[in-house]
Amino acid sequence: MNKTVLAAIIVVIAMLGFTYVAVGSAGGMGGEGDWVNKLAVLGAVVLVIITAFVVTKYVRQMQNDTAGGKLADENWDGIGEYKNELPFGWAVIFLGAIIWAIWYFLAGYPVNAYSQIGEYNEEVAAHDAKFEAQFANMDDATLNAMGESVFIVQCAPCHGLQADGMGGKAADLHQRLAEKSVKHVVMNGSSNNLLGTSMPMPDRNGLMNTNTNALITDAEIDAVAKYVAGGLKGTEGASVFAGACAACHGADGKGMEMVAPNIAQMSPSMVDMVLHHGKKGAIGQMPAFTNLTAVQYKALDAYVASLSKK
Amino acid sequence: MFHWLEKRPFFFAVAVFVVIAFAGLIEILPNFAQASRPVIGTKPYTTLELAGRHVYIKNSCNACHSQLIRPFKSETDRYGHYSLSGEYAYDRPFLWGSKRTGPDLMRVGNYRTTDWHENHMKDPAAVVPGSIMPAYTWLFKNTADIDTAYAEQLTVMKAFAVPYNKELPMADGSKATVALADTVEAARASALEEAKVIAADMKDQDVKDAVAAGQVPEIVALVAYLNSLK
Amino acid sequence: MENRPLEYDYTVAKWFMLTTVVLGIVGMLIGVILAWEMAFPAVNTIAGSGLAEYTNFSRLRPLHTDAVIFGFTLSGIFATWYYIGQRVLKVSMAESKFLMFLGKLHFTLYLLVVVAVVGSLLLGITTSKEYAEFEWPIDIAVVLVWVIWGMGLFGLIGIRREKSLYISIWYYIATFLGIAMLYLFNNMEIPTYFASGGIGAWYHSVSMYSGTNDALVQWWYGHNAVAFGFTVPIVAMIYYFLPKESGQAVYSYKLSLLAFWGLMFVYLWAGGHHLLFSTVPDWMQTMGSVFSVVLILPSWGSAINMLLTMKGEWQQVAASPLIKFMILASTFYMFSTLEGPIQAIKSVNALAHFTDWIVGHVHDGTLGWVGFMIMAALFHMAPRVFKREIYSKSLMGTQFWIQTLGVVLYFTSMWIAGITQGMMWRAHDEFGNLAYSFIDTVAVLHPYFTIRAVGGTLYLVGMLLFAYNMYKTMTSSRRVEESELQNASPMGA
Ligand code: HEC
Ligand code: HEC
Ligand code: HEC
Ligand code: HEM
Ligand code: HEM
Ligand SMILES: [Ca+2]
Ligand SMILES: [Ca+2]
Ligand SMILES: [Cu+2]
Repeated sequence: MNKTVLAAIIVVIAMLGFTYVAVGSAGGMGGEGDWVNKLAVLGAVVLVIITAFVVTKYVRQMQNDTAGGKLADENWDGIGEYKNELPFGWAVIFLGAIIWAIWYFLAGYPVNAYSQIGEYNEEVAAHDAKFEAQFANMDDATLNAMGESVFIVQCAPCHGLQADGMGGKAADLHQRLAEKSVKHVVMNGSSNNLLGTSMPMPDRNGLMNTNTNALITDAEIDAVAKYVAGGLKGTEGASVFAGACAACHGADGKGMEMVAPNIAQMSPSMVDMVLHHGKKGAIGQMPAFTNLTAVQYKALDAYVASLSKK
Repeated sequence: MFHWLEKRPFFFAVAVFVVIAFAGLIEILPNFAQASRPVIGTKPYTTLELAGRHVYIKNSCNACHSQLIRPFKSETDRYGHYSLSGEYAYDRPFLWGSKRTGPDLMRVGNYRTTDWHENHMKDPAAVVPGSIMPAYTWLFKNTADIDTAYAEQLTVMKAFAVPYNKELPMADGSKATVALADTVEAARASALEEAKVIAADMKDQDVKDAVAAGQVPEIVALVAYLNSLK
Repeated sequence: MENRPLEYDYTVAKWFMLTTVVLGIVGMLIGVILAWEMAFPAVNTIAGSGLAEYTNFSRLRPLHTDAVIFGFTLSGIFATWYYIGQRVLKVSMAESKFLMFLGKLHFTLYLLVVVAVVGSLLLGITTSKEYAEFEWPIDIAVVLVWVIWGMGLFGLIGIRREKSLYISIWYYIATFLGIAMLYLFNNMEIPTYFASGGIGAWYHSVSMYSGTNDALVQWWYGHNAVAFGFTVPIVAMIYYFLPKESGQAVYSYKLSLLAFWGLMFVYLWAGGHHLLFSTVPDWMQTMGSVFSVVLILPSWGSAINMLLTMKGEWQQVAASPLIKFMILASTFYMFSTLEGPIQAIKSVNALAHFTDWIVGHVHDGTLGWVGFMIMAALFHMAPRVFKREIYSKSLMGTQFWIQTLGVVLYFTSMWIAGITQGMMWRAHDEFGNLAYSFIDTVAVLHPYFTIRAVGGTLYLVGMLLFAYNMYKTMTSSRRVEESELQNASPMGA
C-alpha cells in the first residue's frame, strides 16, 4: 500500500472523528453519548480499514506472486480458467457466515424475542425517567431556557427564530396583538377557546359602546384597535375601550376568569390555551400542539410569556 | 452437476429462476394478508385529497420527503406517533420515500396549516431561511386533475373494496363516512366545495379567483392532501 | 468445431455503445445539476422561473436515476451482451437473419422507450416508485423490449458452437430472468381509465398493492434491481474483459461457481434492509439484515477472483489505464458491498437511513464500480468494433485520475454529510428536547453538498473526455489489423 492511500485513510477517519466530536458536543449529548452514533462511525472506520487491508493484500500478490495452476479444458474466446482451489479464508468465512445466519435466524433472533416497539418503549421510559426527575422543579431561568429549546424546534418554523412572526407570516410574539388582529376580532368575533371553554367573543354586531349607546362604529373600531395593539396606552381609543370592551376584558385589559382573556399582555395561561387549541385569526392559522409533554408546555408558556415583557 | 448445467442453458435458466424466486415467496407472501388492514381512524382519501396526492407524486415530493416515522424517541418527538402498518391501508402507491432531504411529512397535517403551506410552497426560503426546497410557483397556476382522482377512487372501490360511502369507526368512538360521488360531474362539484374551504384560508388572489370561477388550482388540492396527513 | 476465425457482426453492439455514451452524459449531466441544486437552490430556476417546473430538483431526480440506470447502464449491458455473447458462444449474429432482426428491433424499441420515458418524466407522469416510475403503457413496452432481448439471448445460445457456457453468460441469463421476474411483479397496476369506464387520464394507473405490502414488493424489486442491474451484469462484464484484456486465465473456476450460485441465492433475501424500523414485521427486517451480511462473501468472491486473476501482473496494471479502470472497479465493488452490509446492520441503519450516507453508498457503487466497468468495457470493445486503435492513451489516463478524484470527493463528502445529519436528527439537548430544528440539519450540509457537486462535475468532465476519445477512435484513429487485437487493446499515445 502506498503512502497516498494511507494518508487518504487517515484523512477520512479524522474527518469522521471530527464530525462525531463536533456534532456530539453541540448536541449536548454529554459524556455517554448515543451508542447508535458511535456504532455508525465505527462502522465507517472499519469499512475503510478492511477494504484497504484486503485490497493491499491482493495488490501485493499482483506485485510479487505469479499466476499458475491447472487449466480447465475449455477456452472461451481465448480466455482460460484455472482449476485453483477456493481461497481458504474466503471459504471459511463464507461457511461461517452461513452457519451464523442459520443460527441467528433459528435461535439468536427468536430467543431474544426482539420487538422494535418494545425497544422504543424502553427508550422512551428511560429518557423520561432521566429528565422528569431532573426537571421536576425548575427555577424560572431554567424554565425559560427549556422553553426556548422547544421553541426553536417546534415553533420557529412559523414564528421565526426571533419569534417575530417573520414579516407577518405568524404572530409576532414580542407584542400581545397586532392592530390588524384586533380589528379583525372586533369585526368578526373570535372563538379560539382562549378561555378553555368555547365562549366566543361576539362580532361587531354584538358590541355596544355604552358611551354612545349605539353599535360600535368603523371609526371607533380603528381607534380601539390602535389602542389595544399599543398596549392600552395613550388616550385615543381609551374611551371606546372603556365603553365597549372593559365590561368583559376589564378596565386594564387583563381579562377576567371565564369571561374574557387578557389582551394587554401575553400570560402563561393564555399561551397554554393557544398551544392546546390552536388559533385562527387575521394572520392565519396556528395548529394545536398535542405531542408535547406537560413540562414542555409549562416551559413554552413561560418562555413565550417572557418574550412580550422584554 | 454444475458442469452438466453449464452445458444445458434451459436447465441452467430454470435452476437460476428457482433459486431467485424462492426468497420472494417466503419473504413477501406471508405478510400480504396482515399488512393491509386499516387501523381505526384511517379514512380513504376524498376526491380533492387524492388529486392533491397526485400533485405530490407528479412533483416527486417523495424524492426529498419521507412518510414513515420510525419508532425512535428522536423521531416521535419531531414528527409524532410512530407509523402503524394499518394507517397506510389506502395508500396506493405507498409514499414512504427513502431520503429525508426535507423532514418527514407523515403527520404534517398536525402541525402545519393551510396559510403556512401557501407561503412555504410559494417560496420556502422566505418562511424557513436557508431552506433548499424548490419554490413550487406553478402549482398556483396549473389546474388539478379532479377527473383522474375520481377515476382512481372508482377503481379502488371496485377492485379493492375501499370503503367509500360506508360508516367507518373513528378513534374517538364516532363514525365517519367518506362520500363518493355517483358521476364525474358530481365529483367535480364536491371537490370544488372542499376547495372553497381551503381557498378561504389562502391569500393568493389568483387562486381565490380561480376557485370562485369553479377551477381547482393544484396548490389547493396539494394543501388538502397535506392537511389530511395526520 | 471450426477453426476459421469468425466474422462477428457488431452492428447492434455499436448502436448500444452509442446510446451508452450519450445517455451516460445526459444522465450524469442531470446528476450534476441536481447536485448543484442541493448546494445552491437558485439553480432550480436555472432556465428561468417559467421553466422551473421542468428543471427543479424533484422533477429531474427520477430522470437522473432512470437515465443512468435504464439509459447508461442498461445500454452498456446490451452493448456488451451483443459483443461478448457472440464471442464466447462462438457464433456470429450474421449467421442468423432472424437474430439480427431481433437485435435491431430490440434497439429500435429500446430507443422509443427511452424517448417515452424522458417525455413522461419531464411532464411529471410517474408512479413514484423508485426505479419503477413508468406508467403502464411504458411498462408494456419495457416488457416487450425485454422479451425481444430474451429471444435474442436464448436464440444465440441455442445456435452456439461452444457447448459449455462461459461465466459471463451465466450472469447475463440471470440478469434476464431476475429483471423479468422483478419488473412484472412490482408493476402490477390497474389502469384507472379503463376500470372507471373512461374517466380521467388514459395513462394513469393505481398500484395493485397498498401501503406496507406495496413497500415490500417495491423494495424486493428495488434492492434486486440493484442486484440484477448494477451487480450481476457488471460482473458478467468483468469476467470477460479483465481476463481478455490482460491475457490471464481466470483464477479459479470453483470460486466463480460458488460466488455465482451464492450471489443468486443470497441476494434476493436482503431487500428487507431498505425497510428497517418500518412497519413490516420484525422478522423480515431481521432476515434482510442477516442476509445482507452474508452477501459480502459471494460479492467479494467475484472481486477476489478478478484481483487474483491479475496475480503477478502488476506491470500490466501500472501500464494500462484500461486495466486500471477495471482493478479500481473491483475495488469499489468490494468497498460498496462491504459498506452496504454495514449500513444494513439495524443500529447503523437507524442512523444512516434517509441520509446522504446512503447516497454516498449508491455512488461509490455506481460511479466507482458500474461506471468504471462500463467505460472499460467500451474502451476494450472500441478497437475490435471499429478496427481502429484507441485514440489516446494519455487522455484515458487523465480521465482515470479526474474521475477517481471525482468519486472520492463524492463519497467522502456524502459520508460526512450523512453521518452528521443522522447524528443531528437524533441529538437531544440537556433538557431532553430535540437539539436541532430540521433546517439546522440542512444548513450544515452546505459545504458537503458543494464538495459533492464539484466531485460530480469532475466525473462528468471525465465522461466528456471519454466521449471525445471514443469519437476520435471511431473516426480518425490509426487502423489496426486483426493480429493486434488478441489481448491488450492497441492505444495511441
Ligand atoms: C362579551 C364579552 C366581550 C366583549 C364586550 C369584548 N370581548 Fe374581546 N373577547 C371576549 C372573549 C370571550 C374572547 C376570547 C374568544 C376566543 O376564545 O377566541 C375575546 C377575545 C378578544 C381578542 C382576541 C385575543 C387573541 O389573542 O386573539 C381581542 C383582540 C379582543 N377580544 C378585543 C376586544 C375589544 C377591542 C373589545 C371592544 C371593542 C372587546 N374585545 C370586547 C369577550 C369580549
Ligand atoms: C404552522 C405555523 C405555526 C406553528 C408551528 C406555531 N405557530 Fe403560533 N401562531 C401561528 C399563527 C399563524 C398565529 C397567528 C394566529 C392569528 O392570526 O391570530 C400564531 C399565534 C400564536 C400565539 C398567539 C399570539 C397572540 O398574541 O395572539 C402564540 C402564543 C403562539 N402562536 C405560540 C406558539 C408556540 C409556543 C408555538 C410552538 C409550540 C407555535 N406558536 C407554533 C402559527 C404557528
Ligand atoms: C430539494 C428537496 C425538496 C423537495 C423536492 C421538496 N422539499 Fe419540501 N422541504 C425540503 C426541505 C430541505 C425542507 C425543510 C426546510 C423547509 O421547511 O423549507 C422542506 C420542508 C417541507 C415542509 C415542511 C415540513 C415541516 O415539518 O416543516 C413541507 C410541508 C414540504 N416541504 C412539502 C413539500 C412538497 C409538497 C413538495 C413537493 C411539491 C416538496 N416539499 C418538495 C426539501 C424539499
Ligand atoms: C453486499 C451488497 C450490498 C448490500 C448488503 C447493500 C445494502 C444497502 C443498504 C443497507 C442500503 C440502504 C437502505 C436504506 O437505508 O435506505 C442500500 C442502498 C442502495 N444501494 Fe446497496 N448494498 C450492497 C451493494 C450495492 C451495490 C454494489 C450497489 C451498486 C451500485 C448498490 C446500490 C444501492 C442503491 C442504488 C441504493 C439506494 C436505494 C434507494 O433508493 O434507497 N448497493 N444498499
Ligand atoms: C456525474 C455523476 C453523478 C452525479 C453528480 C450524481 C448526482 C446525484 C444526486 C445529486 C442524486 C440525488 C441525491 C439525493 O436525493 O440526495 C443522485 C441520486 C442517484 N444517482 Fe447519481 N449522480 C451521478 C452519477 C450517477 C450514476 C453514473 C449512477 C448510476 C449508474 C447514479 C445513480 C443514482 C441513483 C441510483 C440515485 C438515487 C439514490 C437514492 O435514491 O438513494 N448516479 N445522483
Ligand atoms: Ca432512494
Ligand atoms: Ca409501472
Ligand atoms: Cu438493497
